[in-house]
Amino acid sequence: MRNIVKNNDYPGYVLQCNEELILDSGKIIKDFKIAYQTYGSLNKEKNNSILICHALTGDQFPAEKNPITKKSGWWDLMIGPGKTIDTNKYFVICSNVLGGCVGTTGPNDINPENNKIYGIDFPTITIQDMVKLQKILVDELKIDKLLSVIGGSMGAMQVLQWAATYPNSVRSAISIAGALKHSAQNIAFDEAGRQSIMLDPNWKNGNYLNEKTKPENGLSVARMIAHITYLSDAAFQQKFGRNLQEKKDLSFGFDIDFQVESYLRYQGKSFVDRFDPNSYLYMTRAMDYFDVSNQLIENKKTIVSNKIRFLVLSFTSDWLFPTKESRSIVSLLNSVGSPVSSAEVVSDRGHDSFLLDVPQQFKIIRGFLEGIKI
Amino acid sequence: MRNDYKIIFDLIPSNSKVLDIGCSSGELLSLLNQKENIQTQGVEINQEKVVKCLENGLDVVQGDINQILEDFPHNQFDYCLLTKTIQTVNQPDKLLQLLKKVGKNIIISFDNSNYYKRVIEFAFKGSFDKLLQKSNKEQWFNSPNIHPCSIKDFTILAKQLGFNIIESFDVKNNRRFKFPKTPSNIFCKEVLFSLNT
Repeated sequence: MRNIVKNNDYPGYVLQCNEELILDSGKIIKDFKIAYQTYGSLNKEKNNSILICHALTGDQFPAEKNPITKKSGWWDLMIGPGKTIDTNKYFVICSNVLGGCVGTTGPNDINPENNKIYGIDFPTITIQDMVKLQKILVDELKIDKLLSVIGGSMGAMQVLQWAATYPNSVRSAISIAGALKHSAQNIAFDEAGRQSIMLDPNWKNGNYLNEKTKPENGLSVARMIAHITYLSDAAFQQKFGRNLQEKKDLSFGFDIDFQVESYLRYQGKSFVDRFDPNSYLYMTRAMDYFDVSNQLIENKKTIVSNKIRFLVLSFTSDWLFPTKESRSIVSLLNSVGSPVSSAEVVSDRGHDSFLLDVPQQFKIIRGFLEGIKI
Repeated sequence: MRNDYKIIFDLIPSNSKVLDIGCSSGELLSLLNQKENIQTQGVEINQEKVVKCLENGLDVVQGDINQILEDFPHNQFDYCLLTKTIQTVNQPDKLLQLLKKVGKNIIISFDNSNYYKRVIEFAFKGSFDKLLQKSNKEQWFNSPNIHPCSIKDFTILAKQLGFNIIESFDVKNNRRFKFPKTPSNIFCKEVLFSLNT
């Protein structure tokens, strides 16, 4: 049984599903919930829906003001009335991913089997598992075919997974700063982040919520490592150079001397307030396991016969998901016989460019969406 | 509409898969999409032109034709189109070899450098500017046209690379000619060849 309820804790909705879902690992989750938000309205023909897939630390509130943080949504520059993804025109749906910590079932929820918080008893999840949940939501909203599925980074993984798993249900797919599979270097960064969390004594073998503690230092360092990968050499240089933090001389110690240190520590600390450490483990693992190449090849007939249109975007200074990864996506789509569009956007702001005010990105996406008739 | 586009439109049958290399803002691709069950793909280096294509619902990969074709799978396209572009490529011979793998047929158009009016103008003006420029803006040193060629040059290369010339057109007069019987290398201003292997 499924029913949609208004979210009690904050704006948005929760789809409650009293059923079982078999995950890629073979494990089963029971009685799960999907927290989501929508913007704009669904038209009569139900053909103007766009699903937004969030990245690792995103949530279901891309547009307007985020009701939790009270700051602008993570893609408020992209989504809204008159913006690139125009909510006067499109019905925009965004849900918190499976394993997330903003309302959708994840490791910080209660396990219905034993009424205890899951912790690391939560099953390992994949990008496809996340997408399966999104499909349940889209079905429940009675939408047969999404006009587009759009996302950056881990969101781009979900986008490609949608095309591979549900080629009958999407008209177009926009992958931004994404890849067909997680690279060895990216798995390495994820592992460093996870080890940082798991080696924090407050992690308590994943049981920190029951023990009323939190591996804050570990999560903070994980975020610091990750944050470096989201920027670029040029971005760091322009923002901070070797400027000192509120001092004129070096301290000859290990306190904060440089502005960049202060910035990173701040990034780490503020992340701790809004993110669950176990969620971080599960979601980075899902990214590590991601490799959608074979599924795209297996489903090529359906992809081609549905004439799914793909747009693959990358940024010149992104070294986490560099343009060569996007070129592999283009190459694979071409080899399965699917037309594809791509562009490399000039930006010196690294992987995070997809979240920033990069007008050329908006222009390309707007153009692509205009080319898809409602 | 450009004459070479008209000829290409007539040459390409319905149900074809077409790759247009250097597709600009997609005029030719839009034209071809009027045909039944045709699947098109463009390649263009200029991002503003890519956006134009996207707005018109065309699928275009942004990329440098000197590199991007290596990303394209073999035998995926029925027709590869190269209209007035070969003279801008770093290594036309390598590009043609790549095209041979990517597509079954190749249609190529270019300005014949040995066209008598060009030769006379060059002889009397004594400057490469006019011969090389793509628009009025360029001179010999900054022109994108780095590899101008004559019909003779091209057909020698095509033969070396193992291509068969299936059709030859005098583009300006929209007229087929039998190659190499007519003195086309002198009197044809712009040429279009349809090749296969």
